[in-house]
Parts: sequence; C-alpha cells; structure tokens
Amino acid sequence: MSARGVKGDSCPGLTGTRKGNHWGMFRKTLATACGLALLSGAAACSADQRESAASAAASAFSDAIASGDAAAACAALAPETVEAVAASEGESCEASLGAQELPSGAVGEVQVWGDRAQVRTDEDVLFLVELEDGWKVVAAGCEPQGDRPYLCEVGG
Amino acid sequence: MKRFLRDNGLSLGFGLMFLAALVGQAFAGQSDFNHRQLAQGGRELSLLQYVTSSDFAVNVAENWQSEYLQFFLYVFATVWLVQRGSPESKPVDEVGLESDEEQRVGRHTTEESPEWAKAGGWRTGVFSRSLGIVMAVIFLLSWFAQSVSGLSVYNAEQIAELQDPVTWGGYVVSGEFWNRTLQNWQSELLAVGSLAVLSVYLRQRGSPESKPVGTSHETTETSG
Repeated sequence: MSARGVKGDSCPGLTGTRKGNHWGMFRKTLATACGLALLSGAAACSADQRESAASAAASAFSDAIASGDAAAACAALAPETVEAVAASEGESCEASLGAQELPSGAVGEVQVWGDRAQVRTDEDVLFLVELEDGWKVVAAGCEPQGDRPYLCEVGG
Repeated sequence: MKRFLRDNGLSLGFGLMFLAALVGQAFAGQSDFNHRQLAQGGRELSLLQYVTSSDFAVNVAENWQSEYLQFFLYVFATVWLVQRGSPESKPVDEVGLESDEEQRVGRHTTEESPEWAKAGGWRTGVFSRSLGIVMAVIFLLSWFAQSVSGLSVYNAEQIAELQDPVTWGGYVVSGEFWNRTLQNWQSELLAVGSLAVLSVYLRQRGSPESKPVGTSHETTETSG
C-alpha cells in the first residue's frame, strides 16, 4: 500500500451534515476505515525518495569498487561492517577491500523495507541499513544459499 | 455535565483507558524497538518516528483485528448458538432470527423505532445486520492493515538477516503472519467461551454481564 493513495480528502463522507443514527454509524465506520488506511500507509510514506537514496548509496559503493577507490568504498560501508572487515583481515578496511575483487555494476532492483534495503546490481546483491548519516552498505559480494542467508564476502 | 459523564460512563471510561494503554504501548514499544535496533546495528527512532512505523502499526492492528473478530463472532454466533443458564445467551427456545413481532420490524414498528427499521426493504435488511456488518468490516480492515504493516516489519528483518524479502502473497501464507494471527484468536475465543460458561455458575453483583446473585443456575437471559 502506498501513502500516495491515502490523502486527507479521500474521506469526503466525514464532512456530511445529514442527521440520523445510520448516517452517524456510516461516518464512524468510514472514519475507522480511513484511520486504518492511514495507519498502514504511514510506513510507506515517501517510499520513492528513500528508494532513490538507497540506490544512490549502493551506486556510490559499486562505482568505488569498479574504480578501485577503496577509501570511498569503505566510506560507503556501515561502521559495524568496517570494524568487521578490519577485524577479520587484520588490516585496515581500505587495505582489505583493495585486496578483494568484489563484483560491481549498474544498480537494478531496489527494495526498501523499514530502515533496511536490498539492492541488486548487474553482478551483486547488496544489503543496506539507514543510519543517521544516510544509507550505508552492510554486506556486499553476496551469493544466495537457497533458503539460508546470503553468503557475503564483505559483512557476511 | 455531571449527568453527561454518568450517562456516558462506559464509553468515556473505556475510551480514556484505551488512550492510556495506547500511549503506554507507544513508549514500551519504542523502548523494545530501539533495544532490538541496537543489537542489529540499526538506528534508534524517536517516539514520533516510532508511532508512525510499521512496527507500531502491526502491533496495534493485530490486536484490533482479533478484538473485532471476537465481537463480530459473539454478535453473530449468539443468534444461532445458545448456552442454557448463561446471561450471555438468549433463551434456548429462541434460536435464530426471531419473529418480526419480537424484533419490532414490519408492521410492529413504533414511533420511536429508528428510521431504517421503519423503512422496510433493503434498508431494514441492512440495519437488521448493521452491528455485525460494522464489526466484520473493522475486523477485515484491521486484518489487512496487519498484513501490510507486518509485511514491512518482516521484510526489514529478512534483509537485516541477509535474506530475500517476500511478497504480500508470500507473507499472508507465512508462519509469521499466522502465528501473529492465531495467537490472538485463540485467546479471544477462550475468553468469550469461558465467560459464557462461567456466568452460568458465578455471579458479579450489579453487573449486566451477570445474573442476579440469587438467580438459579438454570435461568437463562437475566441480567443483574
């Protein structure tokens, strides 16, 4: 459900002036229906903007990988992923990412749910989280494992 | 003013308790949500952000749908199902929709009857079922709201665990959706069923949900 279809003027019956038990009951029902629709639609508010922002963050990471700019790629990662990369390889994030051959490519399908996003590029699947300073890549270089979680080279 | 408060005590009292509980749920839910966010490396939400989130919406909607289902079923089922000795039941020999005379419709309406009761035709037909219809509609809307907001919460968790999100169709046949749904239904059905049976043998002096204290266990449909 999209918030675009749930506007305040979509419940014109609420401004009715007719009197009577049945009309009052109808208005109450309509008010409840509109309230529930708003409740459902609230989470989807400005979904397009958030998809664009997640797509841009994934694109920045993918471009950095393609151009070999490890510093920019590390800047696009979530702090916990940077720490995990550094801890697992025993060297800085930049040195670790520079030594890996991660897939890259143009951004395709983007799915945003809550503060999480999954972005598919030509050759990769990226997982992102929305933090205070915008969308950050949590995992990259991911391969599907059937019903089990993706196995990822970074952040897996 | 005093008389207004007395005459509307039930609706005002329960309305205020509902709002207090909803506000309490918002604070408790925000605390629980932010605790989980910290564990998963996500960001914390303010109270305003939380009450407009899918997490809050699904927790509200899943309880609303079960409550309205409970009262829809109770309103509808008590037309056809009776319980001998229970003040929640009508007399056991009055199963069904009852006569026009008993229901004061058709030529048995009075000056005070609601307009749609006097109107006849489809309007009286609709009005005769309006309580059940409204309860059922609110139940279905709440259940749909649960499915939409629940999908958002479920998919956020899926992605946080590096798994693929699912479609709405996939979610409404998932164990997650039916676990949330049935855990509420079973408790509502148990509460209604046990009230109908316990009220045969137990009393609450002054409550319309109970028989008068001295009434026999065999007496049906008497409020005290």
